[in-house]
Amino acid sequence: MRRDATHADARLARWLVAPALLVVTGVALVPAAATAWEALHRHDLRLPWLGTPFVGLANFAEALGDPRFAAALARTMLFAAVSVPIELACGLALALVMHHLVRGRAIARVGALLPWAIPTVVAALAWRFFFETSDPGGVGWLTRPVAAWVPIVAADVWKTTPFVAVLLLAGLQTIDPALYDAARVDGASPARQLVTITLPLLAPALVVAAAFRTLDALRLFDLPYVMTAGGPGTATEPLSLYAFVALMQRLRVGYGSALSICVFLLALGVAMAAVRALGRAAPGGHA
Amino acid sequence: MHTGRLLLACLAVVAACGDASGPRLTFSGSDVGAEGAVIRAQLDRFAARHPGVRVELRLTPDAADQRHQLYVQWLNARAEEPDVLQLDIIWTAEFAAAGWLRPLGAPDDIEDFLPAALEADRWQGSLYAVPWFVDAGLLYWRRDLLGAPPSTLDELREDAERAMRTGAVSAGLVWQGARYEGLVTVFLEHLVAFGGAILDARGRVRVDEPPAVRALTFMRDSVTGQGLVPRAALAWQEEQTRFAFQNGDALFMRNWPYAWALVQDARQSRVAGQVGVAVFPGADGGRPAAALGGAQLAVNRYTEEPDLAEALVTFLTAPEQMLERAQAAAQLPARRSLYATDALAAALPLPIDEIRAVLEAAVPRPVTPVYSELSELLQVRLHRALTGQEAPDEALRGAADAIRDLLARTGLAASDPPAPEPAE
Repeated sequence: MRRDATHADARLARWLVAPALLVVTGVALVPAAATAWEALHRHDLRLPWLGTPFVGLANFAEALGDPRFAAALARTMLFAAVSVPIELACGLALALVMHHLVRGRAIARVGALLPWAIPTVVAALAWRFFFETSDPGGVGWLTRPVAAWVPIVAADVWKTTPFVAVLLLAGLQTIDPALYDAARVDGASPARQLVTITLPLLAPALVVAAAFRTLDALRLFDLPYVMTAGGPGTATEPLSLYAFVALMQRLRVGYGSALSICVFLLALGVAMAAVRALGRAAPGGHA
Repeated sequence: MHTGRLLLACLAVVAACGDASGPRLTFSGSDVGAEGAVIRAQLDRFAARHPGVRVELRLTPDAADQRHQLYVQWLNARAEEPDVLQLDIIWTAEFAAAGWLRPLGAPDDIEDFLPAALEADRWQGSLYAVPWFVDAGLLYWRRDLLGAPPSTLDELREDAERAMRTGAVSAGLVWQGARYEGLVTVFLEHLVAFGGAILDARGRVRVDEPPAVRALTFMRDSVTGQGLVPRAALAWQEEQTRFAFQNGDALFMRNWPYAWALVQDARQSRVAGQVGVAVFPGADGGRPAAALGGAQLAVNRYTEEPDLAEALVTFLTAPEQMLERAQAAAQLPARRSLYATDALAAALPLPIDEIRAVLEAAVPRPVTPVYSELSELLQVRLHRALTGQEAPDEALRGAADAIRDLLARTGLAASDPPAPEPAE
């Protein structure tokens, strides 16, 4: 009897999951597989007389020997390494403030979330106008290889700190206030409380926030696309923007697909590392 | 299967409806401002002359990149429409080589079209498009600060330095320095001024040769050395350049003819009535040059109405239609004979003598099917040199190597006709 019921439940479960699986297959797996298939061909929309021969991993080999690809990859990782810690630190500070607010919590939260609600392209345009000038005496932020990163990182931090803050705020609210009471009785300073209670118990939320932000940062596209178009030269061109140039501007479908697959693999690697880290950081998790 | 048949039936019905009034032509092109009204009127007139024929305007994005992308998708899918396409001057070779355009019979009066524009419309000896209107880079100058435009680049620099020293302007010269297609046209004018070329007539890459290095060095020094061109201009396109010039900040501006009406408009410009135009001057070993832009008309290879489509191209590129377009949209006709007429002089807001001189100096960009990628490779290296990340000779060597690789990879390297020369 019981066995049958379990069996029926399992069948029902499969039917219930099927639509979601179908959607995931349709919108994620099929396009990814099609892109991977394109990446194995030489396919240039502008040169139809060359045909679309199967070339194996030749596109990936070309990417490995392409200095612009290597530079874009390094740049993308550097951007993630710089912007994500800043966002985590600012997000934590903002979350602590919101957590300890006695009055006006709702208003503070809505206000803090506003930058997150603005579309990235709109935010990027606003930041670009802020740094760009049609005055001949201007500094020319966007014309300097290192300085051009300042508006990009600033816009990214400004826009995504609220997201981090809200995630961490949720984490803060799950910490038992009794722990702080006990710490205060024992005479622990606020700094000590932060280090020994808040941060360890917040670790899962921090890992989630770091993982989301890192994944996003590795796919960086719209901010430099709008603000610098990858310039000066290619000094602010991340991997996704280079893939876009290859695919949509040069119309090299094969090579552009190979670059997109590289972005995908990079993000996948980080996502898997994050899942493992989350397992470790979760209460009762194992290394 | 059933849905397929149903779909076919629906299509047949739709097609039958379409056929009810005879053959149909679609034209796709620009619809911005006055252009839309004049092209609609002209298409209607063509339809009136061909009873039973319907002509439709297919709207496409204004941004050149987006329109290009859309055309490539349509033609790559062998779409039968649009039958007649408005092409940017730098696309014709690409589309012709891809087999997407119908070769056209030479118009009887082909001699009348501007040679530089025709050059961009030929691919491997055949004509694939007919010049429609042209655009050319101009040197705008301030009549209130200068008696005459400079006749050499050295003079231009001296004039600019003097004006900056007296404090009359904060910038000597402004041009489009952002990393995009406009930068290539600015570079081309400097390049020809110093006697260089990007590709030569046989398609060999020449952009790393000494005249090119001198040209890019001049541009780089204009930004860093004397500060003739403001650093901020390295992020500017046409409009930012125009703002700086019409605010009275610059003595010279390199820009397209569209800016004329705007900088002469007292409601928005502080220099209205004080502006002249001239051709961008040459330097030692070169000649004055104006980068050529503009639009061409071509016929879709897969059209169902080839004769009618070609007739529409002939109609739209006839002198009367060009003149009407010049009057309505201030676009420069691609026919030389019109520049001798009083009608055009009266129609164009720009001074016609200067425009004639500029068009005589017109230089097309390289005519090659891989132009847009070639241009992008060049843009990156030019911008690196101008922003101080690479020396000009190093940047141009890098660009030339990348362009040679591109031509070799796509089978377009210069060795095909007529007899291969031994490698140097």
